[in-house]
Amino acid sequence: MTADEIDTQIRMLAAERRLPPSHLARWLAMDPASRAAMLEIARVIRLRTGQLMTALETLEEIAVRERVTVAGVLDRPEIRRIAGGPGSAPSRASALLEALRTLRYPLLRKMQEQIRSEVAALKLPRGISIALPNELGSDELTVSLRVRSAAELTRLLEALDRSRPGLVRIIEMLAGKQ
Amino acid sequence: MKFDLDAVFVEHGCAGYPLATRILRALPREVPVTHVADPRESTRPASGARDPFGAGKRRMVIARRKSAFLAPCPAGSSEFACCGYLVLTLASNCPMDCSYCFLQEFLADNPAFQVYANFTDSFDELDRLIGNARGRSFRVGTGDLADSLAFDSLTAMSRELIEFFASRESLTLELKTKTGEIENLLAMDPRGRVLVSWTLSPDAVYRSSEHLTASPAARIAAARAVLDAGYRVAFHFDPLIAYPGAERDYILLIDELLDTIAPKEISFISMGGLRMTPRLRGAARSRFPGDPMLCGEDVLASDGRLRTFTPLRLNLYRTLADRFRKAGAEIPAYLCMEAASVHESVFGAPPSRPAIIGNRLARD
Repeated sequence: MTADEIDTQIRMLAAERRLPPSHLARWLAMDPASRAAMLEIARVIRLRTGQLMTALETLEEIAVRERVTVAGVLDRPEIRRIAGGPGSAPSRASALLEALRTLRYPLLRKMQEQIRSEVAALKLPRGISIALPNELGSDELTVSLRVRSAAELTRLLEALDRSRPGLVRIIEMLAGKQ
Repeated sequence: MKFDLDAVFVEHGCAGYPLATRILRALPREVPVTHVADPRESTRPASGARDPFGAGKRRMVIARRKSAFLAPCPAGSSEFACCGYLVLTLASNCPMDCSYCFLQEFLADNPAFQVYANFTDSFDELDRLIGNARGRSFRVGTGDLADSLAFDSLTAMSRELIEFFASRESLTLELKTKTGEIENLLAMDPRGRVLVSWTLSPDAVYRSSEHLTASPAARIAAARAVLDAGYRVAFHFDPLIAYPGAERDYILLIDELLDTIAPKEISFISMGGLRMTPRLRGAARSRFPGDPMLCGEDVLASDGRLRTFTPLRLNLYRTLADRFRKAGAEIPAYLCMEAASVHESVFGAPPSRPAIIGNRLARD
């Protein structure tokens, strides 16, 4: 396909999906290889409007952060695996957005994984729940107890006390101390 | 550093003010000057301009300020620890063009560079302030909605300000800048009542985001010069941007600073992580689409602003604070627009009350 044909196809897809003009403009402002790669993945995975908008925004930001092209990002093995892999189009679309988000927020994702594995390692009994701040947007850890009797409360508080060093470690991680 | 202007508008009745006279006299001949009855229209975004905000920066409006000049810092609120800073609005907007600047949102509807011809009326407000609060000291800055010195070679406002503040024991003037415009300052005696502060960023941020500003090295050199001329100096690491390699770069920057200025010569430092409302981020990304500093690992925080996710942001604060601590002098420090709990986590102690910290920063 020529560059003009690709742009025509992009415009058609944008019209089908009712993509906002600002997003279409951003797509068309990409280099030719990136425009074409984006068109291909949007078709293969059948991205819906919101997904297409998120993908365009995230890809653009990854490209700026890493000083690469969108085509370069879409050509990475982890993305190609999703695009060419098995599964329904909706599940691949979700996997694609998740993979892009991991590329866009590499340290956040790594930190979230580390903290989640610390929480899992506590092996807290049922009745105690730990909620991490959304996207680590604060340093606040929420610890909840669900009890129906005094004995249950005693048991959970004892369990919590035994987990104190691990909880302290998690709080310090949230405060950027580890 | 000199900044270009496309046009100047003067409100009727303002041409006789000394400030307007100075500006009009110093203005390059080719800059058209228009006298207008109502300056509001001249301050609005130019219709049809590709970058209305950027175009606004190159249009100066000399007008009379009708509202108060003095106000508490707008960043202060119950959710943040406050440094007790007072702002004096003598101008609005800035000829420099930092990609992250909050003015892109705050002044989106009136982006012209406005300078207030009647700015010396603010001196009455300041005298009333100190008259009503005997025994207290105040730090008052002109660098909130404008860079304090960017147009000083044209306006020479600093001269009248320094003269006023030099004779007020309980006031400290803070001139906040990213320029090296210190010529007027060097000709004045501040009598210890004027503090000049620079925003400092590593070279990577300067090159990527701080367009038309003086280089970090030039800012540090200017700080050394004003220090030697009797001024106090302070530094704002704000916005602190957590890009890859930021820790190393900020430490190098601090080392460069401390090689030129001893810790005991620094009145205070402040830090504040990059924070942007979603609207500001949209405006900034649209004006500077290729700036990686605007694409950090920022998430929506509870105050509705996008901020670097908390552990990364706090770790960076701590890295800088530790570096200054290791330098061997206790430099007063505060965080801008952060909760008291963050302050405590970074510095190991809760922040003082605004009046106390304000007093301290004004006097030290």
